[in-house]
Amino acid sequence: LAGPPSPGGQDPRAWRVPVDCVRANELCAAEPSCSSRYRTLRQCLAGRDRNTMLANKECQAALEVLQESPLYDCRCKRGMKKELQCLQIYWSIHLGLTEGEEFYEASPYEPVTSRLSDIFRLASIFSGMDPATTSRSNHCLDAAKACNLNDNCKRLRSGYISTCSRELSASEPCSRRKCHKALRQFFDRVPGEFTFRLLFCSCRDQACAERRRQTIVPSCSYEDKEKPNCLDLRGTCRTDHLCRSRLADFHTNCQATFQSLTSCPGDNYQACLGSYAGLIGFDMTPNYVDASTTSITISPWCSCKGSGNMEEECEKFLRDFTENPCLRNAIQAFGNGTDVNLAP
Amino acid sequence: AFGLYFPRKEYLENVYIDEPAGMPLLRIHALRDSHEEVAHFHLCQNLVISRARSHENNWFQIKEKTGLLYLSKSLDREDFNMLSVGNWMPLSKVMLSVFLSSHPFQEKECGSATRITVFLSLINATAPACSSLTARQLCFTEMDLSFHIKENKPPGTFYQLQLPSVHHLCQNLSISYKLLAAEGLPFRYNENTTSVRVTQRLDREERERYELIAKCTVRMGLREMQVEVPFLVNVLDEDDSPPFLPNDTDTADAVVEFNRKEGTVVATLTVYDADTTPIYPLESSRKKYTGTIVTDDPWISETFRVEHIFDEIHFSPNGSQVRGTRHEYKLVLNKSISVTEHRSFQLDVLVNDTEFHGPERSVMLHFNVTILPVSIQFSNMTYQFTVNRNAERFAQIGKICIENCMKFRGVNITYKLLSPNVSCYPVSIVQGREDKYGSLYVNDSSVLRRLECKEIQYTVQATDKQSRKHTKTLLTLVLEGTLLKKEDDCPDSCAISKHRAECEECGGLGVLTGRCQWRQGSGKGITTNYSTCTPSIKTCPDGICDGVEGKDPAVCPQDCTSGNIIGGHGKGIGNLGIKSGHGICYCFPKENCYCEKDDIKEQLCDDMCKTVI
Repeated sequence: LAGPPSPGGQDPRAWRVPVDCVRANELCAAEPSCSSRYRTLRQCLAGRDRNTMLANKECQAALEVLQESPLYDCRCKRGMKKELQCLQIYWSIHLGLTEGEEFYEASPYEPVTSRLSDIFRLASIFSGMDPATTSRSNHCLDAAKACNLNDNCKRLRSGYISTCSRELSASEPCSRRKCHKALRQFFDRVPGEFTFRLLFCSCRDQACAERRRQTIVPSCSYEDKEKPNCLDLRGTCRTDHLCRSRLADFHTNCQATFQSLTSCPGDNYQACLGSYAGLIGFDMTPNYVDASTTSITISPWCSCKGSGNMEEECEKFLRDFTENPCLRNAIQAFGNGTDVNLAP
Repeated sequence: AFGLYFPRKEYLENVYIDEPAGMPLLRIHALRDSHEEVAHFHLCQNLVISRARSHENNWFQIKEKTGLLYLSKSLDREDFNMLSVGNWMPLSKVMLSVFLSSHPFQEKECGSATRITVFLSLINATAPACSSLTARQLCFTEMDLSFHIKENKPPGTFYQLQLPSVHHLCQNLSISYKLLAAEGLPFRYNENTTSVRVTQRLDREERERYELIAKCTVRMGLREMQVEVPFLVNVLDEDDSPPFLPNDTDTADAVVEFNRKEGTVVATLTVYDADTTPIYPLESSRKKYTGTIVTDDPWISETFRVEHIFDEIHFSPNGSQVRGTRHEYKLVLNKSISVTEHRSFQLDVLVNDTEFHGPERSVMLHFNVTILPVSIQFSNMTYQFTVNRNAERFAQIGKICIENCMKFRGVNITYKLLSPNVSCYPVSIVQGREDKYGSLYVNDSSVLRRLECKEIQYTVQATDKQSRKHTKTLLTLVLEGTLLKKEDDCPDSCAISKHRAECEECGGLGVLTGRCQWRQGSGKGITTNYSTCTPSIKTCPDGICDGVEGKDPAVCPQDCTSGNIIGGHGKGIGNLGIKSGHGICYCFPKENCYCEKDDIKEQLCDDMCKTVI
């Protein structure tokens, strides 16, 4: 394999085309000035205080050089090969540059360009029926049937269900770690046509809603003996590169905004639902809080009890799950089989 | 003291292309800790774009005294493109840090303890005409009007309702504000400056949330439009309340008797505090509210520890609910206590609210501790068991247990048979769960068949592992019954039999009377009460693989199997055994188990069913 062309010789804007961080890291390593600056910056950021870092001349110089390197705009793909390595490179730069304690962090993942309508088309081919017309049936049951007819979906679904419901001892109902891993595999490797139908099926009766709530085996993957404080849970999540990235992705794609009709950023339901599903199998695993058919309430397993002076912030964090018009609209739109009509 | 602070964490404003230099953007306020303080605002000379790229700030400045953020240079399209590069979101945002100090900034350094973030949304268009803006846009920005004010601090102005940019651009519009639901509340709206002021020191323990409404009226010629948005003030807490005892209870009795295990909670006392205690980060809150055992006795400090947990509770001082804290101090055994220990004493725990600056920052809790010795002795002086001569190896005859043995925790008793006359020796003892009791079982069934063995006397000895204290009693085994003829081709294990008839005519490992027992299940779906053949219904299957059953896989695979189970079933704890099964469950020891409906009698498809198909 020939060495990558030196970025210095190219049009300085050419690299602005998104490149993943693993590749960007390779490009940077091939160039001595970039790689030495990257090393310097990483040392600067190890101190974790952005302001002392920016005050240091050497760090400042490294930062300026790196802003022109592909490392700066690099992103990662969900479920890509070496996803963790990619995210480690991403956060090695971004962790020190953002405040660290920022409320919303920018997503390290590439933006989602596909639309819900793509899923509906595929889903109706798989099931042989249009989801919008079969209003009397149990959509969650249909979704499970559709999954069982697909080898990949069936294998990974039964994989996580058996892992998550295996009782270890009287005090330990299951291995949460293994259950989460199996759930992550399911949601990473099975296409949204199947996983979204299971997660976001619309329900008219309680049995259906209960099935929907049970989709991720909440007794193992979701519930715990105690409910931690949401900010505490967020802190735990942010110590893990993967969890932190998925949470940032959720905030980027599901953060309610006044600037669009649907309340979703860019009116993109698919992106919001995808980043919701991306949180399953981590500390911040969200789920339906009950089997209500009329109102959909989503929450991670946490509460704002014991927030002290941070209660306002905690409630703001929790509301992005429990009272998020973008997320609610996206789930309802998926259940109804409707997507936003994008005028050209 | 440097006690200046911002009444909110973030500000939000829009910036349009080609807005003129000098354009005011927004006002930032600071509140004080003491009257003599003067706030100085300062901007960090770096913009953060798309939250990671930084750029020198050439466009924005802040008035050091008033906190007015304004454009010092027009942002043209070229600037705009440069600042949007690499920003993937449809909306470009730049982030500025505003710092606060009680003295004039000497150098333009970028740093101080107190800072907030201003997000500026760069809108890819020129500023809209005033007439095209909605009342909502003319009156308020997208940011919610939510503020926090520290308790016990002097009054001050913390927000200006009027938007500086709108005021600057749309001077011929009449925009006026009002603060509703403020009657009787410590907030004052000044019509001339449109600023909102907190008029007195607040007390969080009295009220921690104020919900007002900001009302805006816009007059455009003859048209009048009104908008109302919530205006919220949260009161931030500081440690200004001492700990207190509910119902003045500062004493609890702690008796240690049968439960002597390390980690046992022997008593709990509660302390209340009207202040909030964040559980995040947990360890630092624990350090702020300490509980220490006051003692010179090394034995006490080695044997006991205090565990502190706390949670949020609510007080209602005057109708409104405010959050407070309940601290629980648990006296816990730090190690298992010997059965011979016998003491009583008072143990004092000093609870200290370290951040409260007052004379009553600590309370003393008293635990009246009584440690009683427990005696290692058999209650009924002799045991007598009858054993059927047809019992097989691993048949469970009975339990040996010293007085109160089932109540023990943290006391390990070893049971042992002292061997009698050597020739007749059919039984052994295995330790029961958690070393509380001993299980007596048949170890050599051939001895039972020997006619010379009729009544056998043993001595049982129970020893406490820790103190080596022991006790003995006599155990008499009476062999009874006549020997049954053994059926040919019967399997070793009862569990292999699939039908009642073959089950009840065979014996197997673990049977008490020479014959296996049939358990008839309820037969509905997958149930814990499945049908199965077992050496003794009392012990197998009961969902627990006990010491005797664990000795041989053929005794009770229903409780102990770790192999495959074929058919409808649920596995037991730790993946051992069949917790529930469908129909009849039978097992080949060391191989698979099967659970299936015995459907020979049932027709697979009756006439009705055939018609349907």
